[in-house]
Amino acid sequence: MRDRPVVPRLRQRSPVHGLRRRGLGPLEVLAQSVSGAAPSAAMAATPAIVAVSAGGATVWSFVAATVLALLIAGCIARFTRRMAAPGGLYTLTAKGLSPGAAFACGVALLVGYGMLAAAALVGGATYLQALVLRLGGTGSVVLPVVAVVVVGLAAGGLALRGVRLSARVVLLAELVSITLMLAIFVLLLAAPLPGPDAAQPGLGLGGVAAGVLPALAAFIGFEVATSLGAEARRPFRSVPRAVTATAVVSGLLCVFAAQTQVVGFAAAPGGLAGQNAPVAVLATARGWPWVAPLLDLGLTMSFFACVLATVNGIARVLFSLGRDGVALRGFGRTHPRFATPHVAIGVVAPVLVVVLAVALLAGAPLGGTLTFLLTVGTGGFLVAYLLVCLAAPVFLRRIGELTWPAVAATAVIAPILVAVLVAFVARSGGTPVVVVLAALAVAGACWFGWLRLRRPDRIAGIGVYDETVADDVLGADVVGAGVPGGGDGPGTGGPGTDGPGTGGSRGPDARPDRAA
Amino acid sequence: MTSPRDPLPLSGRQPRAVRSALAVLEEVVAAGPGVTAKEISAALRLPQATTYRLLNLLVGEEYLVRLPDLKGFALGRRAARLALPVTVAPPTAARAVVDHLRGLVRWGVHLAWLGAGQVTLVDPDPDHPPSDAALLARYPQASALGRLLLAEQPDWRALVRDLRVFTEYTVSTPAALTAALDRVAADGLARQCGELRADRGCIAVGVRAPGDGRLVAGLALSGPAQRVAEPNPELVALLREHADRLAPLLA
Repeated sequence: MRDRPVVPRLRQRSPVHGLRRRGLGPLEVLAQSVSGAAPSAAMAATPAIVAVSAGGATVWSFVAATVLALLIAGCIARFTRRMAAPGGLYTLTAKGLSPGAAFACGVALLVGYGMLAAAALVGGATYLQALVLRLGGTGSVVLPVVAVVVVGLAAGGLALRGVRLSARVVLLAELVSITLMLAIFVLLLAAPLPGPDAAQPGLGLGGVAAGVLPALAAFIGFEVATSLGAEARRPFRSVPRAVTATAVVSGLLCVFAAQTQVVGFAAAPGGLAGQNAPVAVLATARGWPWVAPLLDLGLTMSFFACVLATVNGIARVLFSLGRDGVALRGFGRTHPRFATPHVAIGVVAPVLVVVLAVALLAGAPLGGTLTFLLTVGTGGFLVAYLLVCLAAPVFLRRIGELTWPAVAATAVIAPILVAVLVAFVARSGGTPVVVVLAALAVAGACWFGWLRLRRPDRIAGIGVYDETVADDVLGADVVGAGVPGGGDGPGTGGPGTDGPGTGGSRGPDARPDRAA
Repeated sequence: MTSPRDPLPLSGRQPRAVRSALAVLEEVVAAGPGVTAKEISAALRLPQATTYRLLNLLVGEEYLVRLPDLKGFALGRRAARLALPVTVAPPTAARAVVDHLRGLVRWGVHLAWLGAGQVTLVDPDPDHPPSDAALLARYPQASALGRLLLAEQPDWRALVRDLRVFTEYTVSTPAALTAALDRVAADGLARQCGELRADRGCIAVGVRAPGDGRLVAGLALSGPAQRVAEPNPELVALLREHADRLAPLLA
């Protein structure tokens, strides 16, 4: 008894109460992450972009990026096997690094998800327009704007209606688009064009390194399942698995797609790098005009699923910031019936839609806007990944579970991510991307400075997550939760003392905000 | 729900891993809630990395939980399923209430504890024997008493092993069961008609602790399936009245 551990008091309800706790199956969690990464869109678009930097090393760049994504997934899993947090990487960082770093991660994640959601909206609109044009329609600025407004609001509505419904929609859309993509790519690979033998691409290390940054952009969003931690049924199992599986699936699909396209354009002057719509060109060269509309359809669905997944993600980051008290408290409110962060969703979706619609109506070109948004978003994600990877070993040390593989993983990945980040800034030097990122960073810093000055206590306590509550613990009354009316006798911690009745937290006291 | 997906025999170092996992569980019970991974590793002389993996595995399966400081461990709710529920015979006064109800109706009257997360018959009707007690404990979704219990859970999947079909009326899909449990939660009355045995049915109401309203027991009437399907307002009223009388005696 001498060394009986000190037991912290258990809460009667989770700090992130109001979300529907422990309801989502593993498949729905996986779908969220896969849609966030939108592998089918990445399959079609990224190999050509990577080829510009990597040349003959395109495929190896994707392999390297996959390894990198897996290492990042490993760092994230060190947290998600131990805690479930709707705030995603922001909350995880808070458990390892200082509140300042966590706040920076939160801002980076908001930028990342916000830009990715906007990019996916624009991407969906782009391919929808392409589809309409191919089917004989006429192009105008109206169609993309209408698509952005309709899809943006629909995504907001679905996200609001409940994460289970949106997860199912996302799963269906992503399955269809990945199947379409795989079918198209298998056909392309199975019917090679007659021509001069493809020269074996040289494996230049410099080429691989240069290609890693754009290839990594194909993975961004793959960690979005972390934001469903509190809502997943067995979160400590399903969330880390979903993130890792998404890295593997996206990696395999992208490597496969890159190989198909590199082989397809081996004989063309300039190779893959000079191509704008490589898959459609390859299909047309084989006399398969029907592939192009299918491709457009698949990409449209994939992008729209990505909108839904990222809106879910950004809303939960805002929700966590709100519960932490560092953003408006209102963001931390949840809908009484749908159990979703309805205020955060209700702000994010309309803002996205209005800003994009105005930009498009003002004459912003679709392609340029897409690239711009994706680049800014990639910057945000790189910062967030770097911070969470740095936080992982510190977190493990803090809870006394540090192992050398955790240190080694961070020691390998952190310098690489720093290098990639430097390359990213250098590459975007002088473009509006850097200006926008700098402006966002300054805004974040000002926000933090103000909080530091006015709300130092809130900054110190940042990082709410789905804590274990009295209800989750066997014999919670023994643990000292102070269950009201504890007439359960001496309580040996045996099952007899643990009626499901301690589920009193389902009662009216559980969620006072529901009355609102 | 666990389905036996992988029938492979244990091989290599797996038996040792299973033993270690059980030892970890036992150590958490012995040391008390709040014990840390390092302490467990030291006490069991297990390598640290192995201990962390086992702990994460047991937390993932929800046999253990991490306490809010993320360092300490305690038994999770699911661990209750590893132990037989402790049952106590109901007091004489409570049995008298049950007997009184038996005198008023021509149906079988059964009393079961529900407090331990399992249906445990403690006063089955001697003249109208209920279904096998083990069956009721094992498939709570098919009995009225079990549904009272399931409707109380945050997620019924925690207590349901498989949705076995006993008769053509048995609820066999998760969606249908969720709907049935929502009705139980709304009405405070559980009902099954011919789902366990085609010719028998059951209605049941919960006995709740007067103070905090937690579910401690269930009182059930069983009879012919087609009679159970009828609304039976006076029977239900009688059942509720006796359940209320049992509350101060059982909680």
